[in-house]
Amino acid sequence: MAEYRQILDRLYTHLRPMAPQGMTLEEDTDLISEFGLDSVNVMDLLLEVEEDFDISVPLNLLADIRTPKDLACAITRLLEAG
Amino acid sequence: MIRTATPTINNRPLRCADFPTLAQALDYAAQGVTGYNFYDGRGRLQAALPYAELRQRARATAKRLHGLGLKGGERVALIAETCPEFMEFFYACQYGGFVPVPLPITINLGSRGSYIERLRRLLHSCSATAAMAPAEFLSFLQEAAAGLKLRLVGSPADFYALEEPAVELEPSGPDEIAYLQYTSGSTRFPRGVVITQQAVMANLAGIVGSGLAVRSGDRCVSWLPFYHDMGLVGFVLGPLASQLSVDYLGTRDFAMRPRQWLALLSNNRGTIAFAPPFGYDICARRVHRAEINRYDLSSWRVAGVGAETIHAETLARFADFMAPAGFDRHAFLPCYGLAESSLAVTFAALDQGMSVDHVDRRALESRMTASATAATSGHGERVRAFVNCGRPLPGHEVIVRDADYRALPYRHVGIVSVRGPSLMSGYFQDAASTRDALGPDGWLDTGDLGYLTEAGLFITGRCKDLIIVNGRNIWPQDMERLAEEQPEVRVGDVTAFVAPHPKGGEVVVMLVQCRLTENERRADLVNRLQRMTYSEFGIKCRIELVPPKTLPRTSSGKLSRSEARRRFIQRVGWNQPNEITAEAPKAAVSS
Repeated sequence: MAEYRQILDRLYTHLRPMAPQGMTLEEDTDLISEFGLDSVNVMDLLLEVEEDFDISVPLNLLADIRTPKDLACAITRLLEAG
Repeated sequence: MIRTATPTINNRPLRCADFPTLAQALDYAAQGVTGYNFYDGRGRLQAALPYAELRQRARATAKRLHGLGLKGGERVALIAETCPEFMEFFYACQYGGFVPVPLPITINLGSRGSYIERLRRLLHSCSATAAMAPAEFLSFLQEAAAGLKLRLVGSPADFYALEEPAVELEPSGPDEIAYLQYTSGSTRFPRGVVITQQAVMANLAGIVGSGLAVRSGDRCVSWLPFYHDMGLVGFVLGPLASQLSVDYLGTRDFAMRPRQWLALLSNNRGTIAFAPPFGYDICARRVHRAEINRYDLSSWRVAGVGAETIHAETLARFADFMAPAGFDRHAFLPCYGLAESSLAVTFAALDQGMSVDHVDRRALESRMTASATAATSGHGERVRAFVNCGRPLPGHEVIVRDADYRALPYRHVGIVSVRGPSLMSGYFQDAASTRDALGPDGWLDTGDLGYLTEAGLFITGRCKDLIIVNGRNIWPQDMERLAEEQPEVRVGDVTAFVAPHPKGGEVVVMLVQCRLTENERRADLVNRLQRMTYSEFGIKCRIELVPPKTLPRTSSGKLSRSEARRRFIQRVGWNQPNEITAEAPKAAVSS
């Protein structure tokens, strides 16, 4: 079972290429208003996450995800649920 | 449960929607072997639902709804996920004489609050007495229904646990309501389109009999959401009314992995599939060239296009890209329609592909006339191209009228108006909106702009102010209201519109009159508006704060979106495609 911290680090590797210039990414960065993801980026990100972690992220979970921390927690739970 | 998909070839003669009601259409389809099939995002069959089984399950659920105390004509709201349970409940309403109301799934990152608010407005608007959501969406629906008086808000399992009394079912009759459709209204001010059984059956007969000329051997493939008219009427009701099998892919699964749509068409020898232009666009953008050879799209005889203004280049790019997989560009079938006419109004001719009309840009913009011109003379600047959406379905009429409701001659741009048996009876419990749209003479004012030629109907702009981004319809007044709800912003100080960016594509712009002077507070407002428009509408937009009393108004004192848009485009220099230098002004800008 992967640890939260490792999952977060792996998540950062997917997020960094999408970062606007000069933007540093923190656990609590708001992915929309601060990091600036648009709906197409979100699709790309989810696709990468699903392929990398071999999970399927249900649509209903997105409604409560705002930050890298939220997303990493959701991935952790999905991996634990197997 | 492992199953195989339902077959393409049926063992009963094909009937083209010649039934008085949807329930009778299912009675006939249930005698055959065809049905609905559901695939996951990796192309694996998740469930097969033959029409025979659907009929049984729908009738059982209809009895449970009766047992719950529902009366004929009462509304049952259904979160319209692409799944067998939606079908079962939708047709249960047909057999039980209830009115199904498909509810949208519009979930973005962090959007729980705005989604629940939207569902709540819809439950309230249709005054639903029962509501169903697949288990994973139930918490949203329950929160949305809190305090409203519904008999049951539950998952399919909650409904299955109900008694199934031995009642005699009374399906809704031809002049009763078949369903309510909520795609046309804005999210803030929802309007439920009321469609009767005879209206939808008339439309279906036109679609499958004439528009698509459905025949034995046809098979449909669709990722269109069931809460949208094209997904519901075109790919849930149409195939059932003509006893065709359908293969479904979830809408988000398509958006993430568009290749699965092509794979389904290829593997199952699909012949009919529709998409708005952006669906073709994302396939051309996101599918790798190297994998094209894996697909065989030669069976795809109808590649329908509708729901947005159609740009010929988008379709041409898709056709070029997919040609090595055997895609035939003559399969393109442009069409025009709207939920207020059940779904379809016009279809282009089959097997012809798209035909494009080139018109003089200046005459179009200054005199609203569409003068035919050569395609080559300075493309883009002096010429505009429109796609022929074809002729009305049998028994339907289309005219183009001016602001005084006078019919215009060929090649004059005006408001597209429609008359015929597919039209809605009105907006649910909204007499004022109904009067605005449906004239006493039976003509529906679509709000869309277009012109006619002897060859057919050409749409030049949809619904004047409507903002369409990636297939989503966004009403500017919804965005404006969102901004007006902020404490720093006054009502009537916001205008939203879409403007063409000189580098291609379109940008949604929101201008907000605001008295704030401190930079920090200005930036805070802009950030908040960005986050809220994203979570509510799933779009990023360019937000500018402008000084008070700078937005243009009409003579009646209302903000003029079209004038604000015109001035904005001029101010930022987007009207001069070759000499862009200007970046936005001394306002807080984000994009």
